[in-house]
Amino acid sequence: MDTLLAALFTGTSRGAIYALVAMGLVLVWRGAGIVNFAQMGQAMFSTYIASSLIMNGYSYWLAFFVAIAAGALLGVFLDLAVMRPLSNKKQTELLSSASMRAAVPVIASLGILGVLQALAGVFWAAEERGFQAPFAQEGYTIAGRVMPFTSFDLFVMSVVTFTLILTVLFFKKTGVGLAMRASALDQEVAKLSGIRTNGVRALSWAISGAASSLAGLLLTPTSNLSPYTLDLALIIGFTAAVVGGLDSLPGSVIGGFILGFVISFVNYYLTPEDIYLAILAVLVFVLVVRPRGILGGKDTRRV
Amino acid sequence: MFLAASSFEPYNQGQLAVTLTLFIGILSIVILTGISGQISLGQSALMAVGGYSTALMIINLSMSLWIAIPLSIISGGVAGLLLGTVAARLSGPYLAGTTLVVALAIPSIATRFDSIFKGDEVLEVDVGYPPAWFVRAFGDPTYEMWQFYVALPFALLALFFASNLLLSRSGRVWRSIRDHEIASALAGVKVSRQKVFVFTISASFAGLAGALYGLRGSVGPSTYPTSLSLLLLTGAILGGIRSIAGAFIGSVLVVFLPDWIDLAVHSFELSEQVSNYLPALVGGILLILTVVLNPAGVAGGSHLHKHK
Repeated sequence: MDTLLAALFTGTSRGAIYALVAMGLVLVWRGAGIVNFAQMGQAMFSTYIASSLIMNGYSYWLAFFVAIAAGALLGVFLDLAVMRPLSNKKQTELLSSASMRAAVPVIASLGILGVLQALAGVFWAAEERGFQAPFAQEGYTIAGRVMPFTSFDLFVMSVVTFTLILTVLFFKKTGVGLAMRASALDQEVAKLSGIRTNGVRALSWAISGAASSLAGLLLTPTSNLSPYTLDLALIIGFTAAVVGGLDSLPGSVIGGFILGFVISFVNYYLTPEDIYLAILAVLVFVLVVRPRGILGGKDTRRV
Repeated sequence: MFLAASSFEPYNQGQLAVTLTLFIGILSIVILTGISGQISLGQSALMAVGGYSTALMIINLSMSLWIAIPLSIISGGVAGLLLGTVAARLSGPYLAGTTLVVALAIPSIATRFDSIFKGDEVLEVDVGYPPAWFVRAFGDPTYEMWQFYVALPFALLALFFASNLLLSRSGRVWRSIRDHEIASALAGVKVSRQKVFVFTISASFAGLAGALYGLRGSVGPSTYPTSLSLLLLTGAILGGIRSIAGAFIGSVLVVFLPDWIDLAVHSFELSEQVSNYLPALVGGILLILTVVLNPAGVAGGSHLHKHK
């Protein structure tokens, strides 16, 4: 029973973070039409910035917000420096095939990931660092028993819930959010309606960068900080996004929690080494049984 | 060329063998992605299958490496067949993400089932020593040169088959799937079946590369990391993803570029921190530049191939 409770609690708090990662991926997918495999590399970069600030004596909260801002800025930079030239490319023979047009941005994002990891080496020697959590990581003691739920978990849950509500409000209620939804739906028509699609795309990269940096800041305290620790988070976030539906923001949240529970249960009831196989099993299962995900839209093909 | 090579230092001689091995691996990407348009980040997993099957056969069944290595073509192919049945229904980012997860998951099997695969206690294999007739004919090579001589026939074999594939009917069918899948299906191509087929063939190349890669010394879970997949992909893109010449250029670049970079910055007194990571940084930047500016790579740009 204790194990079950522990698994459930861990699943919930981790699931919330994976939901953030998945949200970031879905945002860029809808806003820019690509899956950003470098996303958690950006998060890693921001977290290193935060870590360096903290090591130089600045407060955690200052570092926290600087990191999120840095994540947003880095996202915009990547959009302007790499993704915009990529989408403006003239037709070459290689790009005349649809599958290569889909593959090229993937490869570009992998290149970005490599560059970010190498830069982490250049700037910070890729050293493994511990990263402090802002709240205690010991479980609460209620009625004499130690609960598997820590104040850090509560912090994670509240931050993620807040962010999710903020995002939903942003998309549903503001003009900019509406513009982003319109651009994702049909870029040509959005342009004709006067929406600055380039700006909208850069904005999705910014928001995604901020969200993923937040996820990185929340994930790192439970392990350590190195250029490669967040790679697993990308895989999990990707699977979560696919499970929920790559087109759907609410779906990414659901997917995040599902993955959180699956991984938590695998960790507690099987062995941690089974995680990769478990993720693969979930991914293959979803892609075979319901490829568009739980809340994904209809799969249409233009002929 | 062999005379020149024997005057190299052993480290560089070892690099020659790795170049041939990665050439075979990059050929697998040329076939899969360049010709058929299926993006896969999972070639390192297929290499692991080839490497482990060869190592296990040599160690547990005392097979000669000249039998075990060709069998890796089959084991790789079988793994590719399995992968292909799932991958054939996927495209774009779904395919990329799934193959990435495969690349992470397959090596973890080695630690998970370490009774068979030995987990972190790696399987130790090597290429052994040249037979007597070889020494009589060519003189006694260094160990690293012998690695090169072992890899050479397989690389030539791979080259032969790859060039035949590219010029064959299958190659044309795969190109049609790459360029316009729907038109291809309308023209009567059984697209899903062909996709499974190309995954199988590509994986057999990767399995062979994995066997040779493992024979450098040890086969373990960390011998075939995901970064190996990315290395192959980088080599393919930089060299030219659509041609065999491109694959060779790519493998040379990937193996020798770090040393060339070190040579180039030798005169600048860079801190150790920077110089350790400079090759990776340059590699990533080159990849991005190539993809943005000249996606067809070196070979594509200079028209070193007949069919694209």
